[in-house]
Amino acid sequence: MNKQRSQQYKVRVDQAIATPKLQKALHQFGDAYMVSRGKAFTGLDFEALRSEIATMKTGVRVNHAALLKQFIQNAEAAGATVFQAKTAEDANSYIAELAKKKGAKLAVKSKSMASEETHLNVALEKAGTKALETDLGEWIIQLAGQRPSHMVMPAIHMFKEDVAALFSKVTGQQEPAEIAHLVQVAREQLRQGYLDADIGITGANIAVAETGGIALVTNEGNARLASTLPKVHVVLVGIEKLVPTLEDAAKVIRVLPKNATGQLLTSYVTWIRGAVPCGDEDKELHIVLLDNGRSTLAESPHCQDALNCIRCGACANVCPVYQTVGGHVFGHIYIGAIGIILTAFFHGLDNAAEIVRACIGCRSCVAICPSNIDLEEIILSLRETIGDEEGIGAAKNLVFRKVMRNRKLFHSLLRAASVLQKPVTKGERTIRHLPLFFSSLTEWRTLPAVADKPLRDLILQKPQRVEKPRYRVALYGGCANDFLYPELGLDLVTVMNALDVEVYYPQKQNCCGVPALYSGDKETAVELAKQNIDAMLEGNPDFVLTTCPTCTMALQRDFVEHLKDNPAWAGRAEKLAAITVDAAGFIVNQLGAADVFSQLASSEKVTYHDSCHLKRGAGVWKEPRQLIESSGHQLVEMDHADRCCGFGGSYSLTSHPDIAKMILNDKLGDIAASGATCVAMDCPGCMLQIRGGLEKQGSSVRAQHTIELLAEALKNKK
Amino acid sequence: MDLLKQFSAVAEAAGAVLIDCQNPAAAVALIAERAATGGVLLPVSASCERAQLAEQLKKAGVSLLPVDRVQAADAVVGVTSACFAIADTGSLVLESTAEDVRLASTLPTHHFVLLDRSKVVADGLAAIEPLRRMHQQSPRNYIAYITGPSRTADIERVLTIGVHGPKQLTILLLDDWSSDFLEM
Repeated sequence: MNKQRSQQYKVRVDQAIATPKLQKALHQFGDAYMVSRGKAFTGLDFEALRSEIATMKTGVRVNHAALLKQFIQNAEAAGATVFQAKTAEDANSYIAELAKKKGAKLAVKSKSMASEETHLNVALEKAGTKALETDLGEWIIQLAGQRPSHMVMPAIHMFKEDVAALFSKVTGQQEPAEIAHLVQVAREQLRQGYLDADIGITGANIAVAETGGIALVTNEGNARLASTLPKVHVVLVGIEKLVPTLEDAAKVIRVLPKNATGQLLTSYVTWIRGAVPCGDEDKELHIVLLDNGRSTLAESPHCQDALNCIRCGACANVCPVYQTVGGHVFGHIYIGAIGIILTAFFHGLDNAAEIVRACIGCRSCVAICPSNIDLEEIILSLRETIGDEEGIGAAKNLVFRKVMRNRKLFHSLLRAASVLQKPVTKGERTIRHLPLFFSSLTEWRTLPAVADKPLRDLILQKPQRVEKPRYRVALYGGCANDFLYPELGLDLVTVMNALDVEVYYPQKQNCCGVPALYSGDKETAVELAKQNIDAMLEGNPDFVLTTCPTCTMALQRDFVEHLKDNPAWAGRAEKLAAITVDAAGFIVNQLGAADVFSQLASSEKVTYHDSCHLKRGAGVWKEPRQLIESSGHQLVEMDHADRCCGFGGSYSLTSHPDIAKMILNDKLGDIAASGATCVAMDCPGCMLQIRGGLEKQGSSVRAQHTIELLAEALKNKK
Repeated sequence: MDLLKQFSAVAEAAGAVLIDCQNPAAAVALIAERAATGGVLLPVSASCERAQLAEQLKKAGVSLLPVDRVQAADAVVGVTSACFAIADTGSLVLESTAEDVRLASTLPTHHFVLLDRSKVVADGLAAIEPLRRMHQQSPRNYIAYITGPSRTADIERVLTIGVHGPKQLTILLLDDWSSDFLEM
């Protein structure tokens, strides 16, 4: 851990959180984006489209050398000069040398993230060439001396008043803060630039191997001017932008604008191959193919899928962390989830080390990614790399390696905590205020007390009368259900018994390992996976039930992934994954028993909060709603039902409590606006967060697990 | 004609104005009306030559500017044909390798496009066949898909029309204008 770097990062987070205007703008954009994106994809099968892109781009990665050769041959045959730049410096010096050779005073640029990546403008200025950004957002940023805070909308963090002030300096007169007027000012100010410039610089959204040409996907028309008027055209393009054929390019173009901004298509798609006519002669076309870490990324088995990115920026649009702090905090040059990964490979691990922890792990980016990249998984693997490089911190090291791996020690400490906490709980189930330097933990939400007796003890005393059990299932409680909310586990037994299912609790089960994994300690996670596989398979259960979707993902996905190369464990990990299922999904899908609860509940207005890992991990969201409705409650949907609540485990407790608090506030606002008196969910972590927030607000809305609501309903059964 | 209908609706939603023209004379009248206050760029193209569009426009009192970089910047109106259109995105496809086509479709504030009603393909994938033939026809290419006028949402995400390219895009639909999907 680098203390100075962490402190500087903390300051940036604090500053961003103290800018409500920015948060409001990013939230509104996120909402409007989802609406227009939904319209743009009407009648199209997004899952099919994105798996097509993923397959195509993966093929490009595998056949990259051949495709690159084909592209270069075709481009050169069409009169282009191609330069392969190994590093950002190579690319910059090639372009700066060219500018010098041409005696270029002015270069007009259209938007290019690759040129932001290499800091090309600085290199050009040093060579005596002024670089003029012509994309409106980029020009604003250039005038302000900043960097983009979004890959598609670089100035999304600025307001018309800021822009008016910047433009007034350029024109020397007071420009009114009216958007249409400001756009006209930009048009007039930049027009002469295209006519005067010696060089036009663009990026490229796609490079087509079949033709040796590029495609530019733009709205403003500046790339068309920059690639037409100056005598020299320089294209700076990352080597991952290659596609084999024109059809493949069409597939990318079909999805890119829809997923980026919700447009069916941008105003302009421009296909350029070779040195086209320019005045009385031919254009001088230079294509600079930028590697700068991309080949290294292609070699990384855990991260290489990130090369499938088509740079739509959607992972930021939907990210609750991005919406809270913006791209200047949650990014380096590239922003959002993909930005974390690209930063690590293009700008070095050190520049990625802080933002890699800023991901809350809600998987909203994974659900929206047009290239089907599992961004969360890659981010976790980077966290592990950084954990290995820099260490995970002494405290975490102690907790994970010395305590958690030793189940008996871990559980005795938790039991001891239930006694030691007495002075602060004052005998209640929740902690409202913590003393001294812990006080910030309970400023914005209460915390649950550690239960007097954990579920693992209580469940042994609960009688189960199931005469002919349909199934015998093992309950995987997870730490929260076991030590914080044992009543939830007991309710699960009640519900299962009513469905003729017998439940037992394997006593040797331990933490699922996700907290360690999220902190970059994979070794502990693997050790815990083994302990749990042994514990859960020992009694040969028909199914393993979970009440926490994060644990579900660990048992269903992570254990298999951790142990796939270990023949002693791989088969058993898969066996456990195959029989693990979340409780609500089990009732509806395995038992087909949603009707059993029909109209039993004392009807209440209930809204449902989708837990990130249940909806976007296990793919379960219809089932709990079906159970709530069929049991007789009135289900009312809140806005952003599937947006993260801000819990994220240690994210809200230690690493980013300030961001977590803001995300929780959004959720509490949506719950209140729904008018429901109860918010249901299927995750003890979300319960901790939402219940704690509601309680601190003094709200009368209750937060319950779906299983608890079902157990309540059963009490009304005669 | 379903594809034409779809194209028209989507192009209009993207901010283009579509006008049905009975014949080229009707198109000439519309352009002349708009060009009353300034010069017009009319790049050379097979379809426009066949219809003697330049002569017709001059007769209607339009001042045609030479299509070069110096004068092009002052033009108010650019007139081009389109090779074909794409229904699902409301886009026009312009073979713009000749520089004068690019000047006429980027610099003036108003871009008129003449399109034969029968030349509409379903979607971006269907557009690839003629696009590939364009690539085979000439070794160097600059091909543009144009969908509505130039736009930006870079200030407070408010959609604003006409940043660097044309502020108005008018599509004039004609019969028997051109049947070749590669012809401008």
